[in-house]
Amino acid sequence: MNPLILTIILMTVFLGTMIVMASSHWLMIWIGFEMNLLAIIPILMKKYNPRAMEASTKYFLTQATASMLLMMAIIINLMHSGQWTITKVFNPTASIIMTLALAMKLGLTPFHFWVPEVTQGISLTSGLILLTWQKLAPMSILYQISPSINLNILLTMAVLSILVGGWGGLNQTQLRKIMAYSSIAHMGWMAAILVYNPTLTMLNMLIYIMMTLTMFMLFIHSSSTTTLSLSHTWNKAPLITTLILITLLSMGGLPPLSGFMPKWMIIQELTKNSSIILPTLMAIMALLNLYFYMRLTYSTSLTMFPSTNNMKMKWQFETKQITLLPPLIIASSLLLPLTPMLSILD
Amino acid sequence: MMTYIVFILSVIFVIGFVGFSSKPSPIYGGLVLIVSGGVGCGIIMNFGGSFLGLMVFLIYLGGMLVVFGYTTAMATEQYPEVWVSNATVMGVFLLGLLMEVMLVLYVLKSEEVGVVFKFSSVGHWAIYDIGNSGVFSEEIMGVAALYSYGAWVVVVTGWSLLVGVLVILEVTRGD
Repeated sequence: MNPLILTIILMTVFLGTMIVMASSHWLMIWIGFEMNLLAIIPILMKKYNPRAMEASTKYFLTQATASMLLMMAIIINLMHSGQWTITKVFNPTASIIMTLALAMKLGLTPFHFWVPEVTQGISLTSGLILLTWQKLAPMSILYQISPSINLNILLTMAVLSILVGGWGGLNQTQLRKIMAYSSIAHMGWMAAILVYNPTLTMLNMLIYIMMTLTMFMLFIHSSSTTTLSLSHTWNKAPLITTLILITLLSMGGLPPLSGFMPKWMIIQELTKNSSIILPTLMAIMALLNLYFYMRLTYSTSLTMFPSTNNMKMKWQFETKQITLLPPLIIASSLLLPLTPMLSILD
Repeated sequence: MMTYIVFILSVIFVIGFVGFSSKPSPIYGGLVLIVSGGVGCGIIMNFGGSFLGLMVFLIYLGGMLVVFGYTTAMATEQYPEVWVSNATVMGVFLLGLLMEVMLVLYVLKSEEVGVVFKFSSVGHWAIYDIGNSGVFSEEIMGVAALYSYGAWVVVVTGWSLLVGVLVILEVTRGD
């Protein structure tokens, strides 16, 4: 793509999310979402194969539908409260429709069907932007309307998302689909704690973005999109193999890595609010996630996966430089001792 | 009938939308959009927005739909689909009509749901208001407010339109 056009389009994606996060007028928020959607379509369609076209079309259709639902909720809110500012949404109809619209944008169950298909059809870098940056805007709106969200709907969607994210990822060998299902599960964890303590949602979002960034950077470095090609990294760059191990275990939520911090805090907050069965179920379903991360580490770092002999002697091309990989690795594995610093997120 | 004119016009509006949502060939979709645009203009004018109704006719129908009509005329096929040519299209159209008829009956017969006659103004929430003077029309004041207090909205929408054109050019380039 022409560098000038690419700059303008990336700037508009950034501007769209910033407008959503910084606006106090509901119409500007809707405009920000639409601007974001419009500008990310050519980024998703960077490669001109039919798979990418189909993925971009699916993304556009689902996000446009969600924007329309959001607009309807905004207008119902306007009719009942007479004003356009972002506050607690007092009317229950508007609140429910808004929650459903934002869940569609995030990819929570039962609106999760587009996430694996869209993530699989696009390149790794586009998938990175899709799974990290695009989650910021809807989550910030959910944060702002969190006092008025219907608890039953949100918790149902959250628990089902954790289940679907874990269960659906079990049969996958394509790395982008694995990351998509992992994203669905993490969004479920974030949505579950939103009503009780929104600060933890922001913490989970932060840690999730850092871990997903790290994983995608490692995949881009080894140019691998399937489990099989990931299992050849011991030949290309053995250090990457170790880093994949650490980051995947962190994503699974194992202490003493930083992925444990959000899960621990969320379970603690939920039990403080006297719900015991729910966090138990959530923790058990996170094991499904851990299973397929472990399978990836088993085939990549812990064993030499069976391959043909010519794969065992790889020609060393010039190494790709990856942005910011060392800080990201540190952030996604060693942040657990900094847990008392949670108070800065308030 | 005049008290219900907004209701009748909005029913025709929705029927028009059902007409092109059932996906006949784009030429017929454009035809229905002309009808819907004209009817929408009528709805706006019934609330006192004569300037905005004129804008709909000039810019939307006279600019965008004309360009759309020319491009679809260039890309049309030999036997374009009408609403009655394909069982699926006709089925969807009839289903949409049926839903609309049921909704109209519900609105007219039920006691809870009523027909909107007049929007109440935003009261003292608006920062740019003419009060109850009755001399200036509210919508002209709204347009004026857009270019003074709402300059940021103009910047954002102008930028969105520019990026929209760039995105469309980029997507259709194909390479």
